[in-house]
Amino acid sequence: MDFTSFDLGEFFGIGDDFLSEMMMLIWILPIIIFVFYGQRIQLIISSNEIKKDIDKLEKFKNDSRQKLIHYIKNTLNPKDDPVKKIDSFLEYFTIMPVDLDPNGIIPKINHLVHSREDFTRLQVKSLFNEISDFELTKVHNLLEIATSLQLFHKITRHLYLTAKKQKNFPLILPLQMMIPFIMEEANALKDAVESMKNGQPMGDGIGPMVVGEMMLAVSKQNAAFETVWAKSEYEGRELLLVKAEGPNATVGRPGEAIENIIPQKKPDLIIMIDAALKLEGENSASIAKGFGAAIGGIGTERFKIEEVATKNNIPILAIVVKQTIKEAITLMSEDIAKQAKSVKTQIHEMIEENSKSGQTVMIVGVGNTLGISQ
Amino acid sequence: MSKSERKITNCYTCLECKLCKNISKRKFESGDCVFQNTGKCSECDGDLIVTMIFGEIIE
Repeated sequence: MDFTSFDLGEFFGIGDDFLSEMMMLIWILPIIIFVFYGQRIQLIISSNEIKKDIDKLEKFKNDSRQKLIHYIKNTLNPKDDPVKKIDSFLEYFTIMPVDLDPNGIIPKINHLVHSREDFTRLQVKSLFNEISDFELTKVHNLLEIATSLQLFHKITRHLYLTAKKQKNFPLILPLQMMIPFIMEEANALKDAVESMKNGQPMGDGIGPMVVGEMMLAVSKQNAAFETVWAKSEYEGRELLLVKAEGPNATVGRPGEAIENIIPQKKPDLIIMIDAALKLEGENSASIAKGFGAAIGGIGTERFKIEEVATKNNIPILAIVVKQTIKEAITLMSEDIAKQAKSVKTQIHEMIEENSKSGQTVMIVGVGNTLGISQ
Repeated sequence: MSKSERKITNCYTCLECKLCKNISKRKFESGDCVFQNTGKCSECDGDLIVTMIFGEIIE
């Protein structure tokens, strides 16, 4: 092949004849279009992808609402038609306290969260002539799932529609970044409905499962709302065992329970067992040990535990079982369930290494105790 | 339907006899809960306790 006669103009279609001018237009036109309309084209492409996810979110929202209504109507025998009341629950919102002056905000958030819980519980109770605590907590949780999915859908749709209305491409970028995380959580919530309805334990229940087993042979007392505690013994140490009251679908109020027990029993060490979100690349159901209060949620319970432990100079150690958000809120996997024995062994090792005979150790199983008694 | 949506999860209940430590596994039944006493062991008449309830994913 002869490359010496290579003509650059000919290669790019730039020549003297009409055809060459047309070829030049074909090169230049897209550049002009992308300079002036590039962002709009990107907006159309991005928003089409987001629209598909918003449609999925709408389906999840409708399905969870429908399943909740179906469950109440067909399993629980309500007084009247629950549809109107459930639809009004789904629209409830919470206004968080002003944080311009954050001093003293925790008791305000705590009050708000408890008021909301108490109110929802009363509203759910009002749907029935009679309902067991087990079913009440299940409906309460199902309602929270449906409300969360409704909120996800509303907020995503709002951002999407605002960006489209204002033809504002930068406005859709944060949504495009966040949507995979939102969808991961929404998928997990959607899948959680079935196991919740059946009263099956979820991955988050590993903490209550370990502590529940340690409580089996001893008598239990009430420690706080929906929370129980019991005394036990291990290698000369007194054990104070705390968990949410199972098999109800509740996390209890471990912060309040610890606040109530510590003035009476003065433990020398607190060990908390919880499920923790795994990082990408970490193995599911792997166990990790660490320091500090292992408890999720809005932060009020953790604040209480840290506060009372600091005042009484009690060290807090933690054992967590790593899992994804989906594993944490859907039916417990075999791998996670099988780790209960290993966690118990590690608790015993931790007790032996960090306390002496005659001392008191508090062990707190944190998580939703649905389907796990004690 | 995507691959992940075709996954089916079966729920099982694991039972252990407190006396002979015999372990058995059956399909989850409504009302099962962990640490519940479900009756007597067919081998030794000891108490049968639910030790685990878990899901197994079938593709």
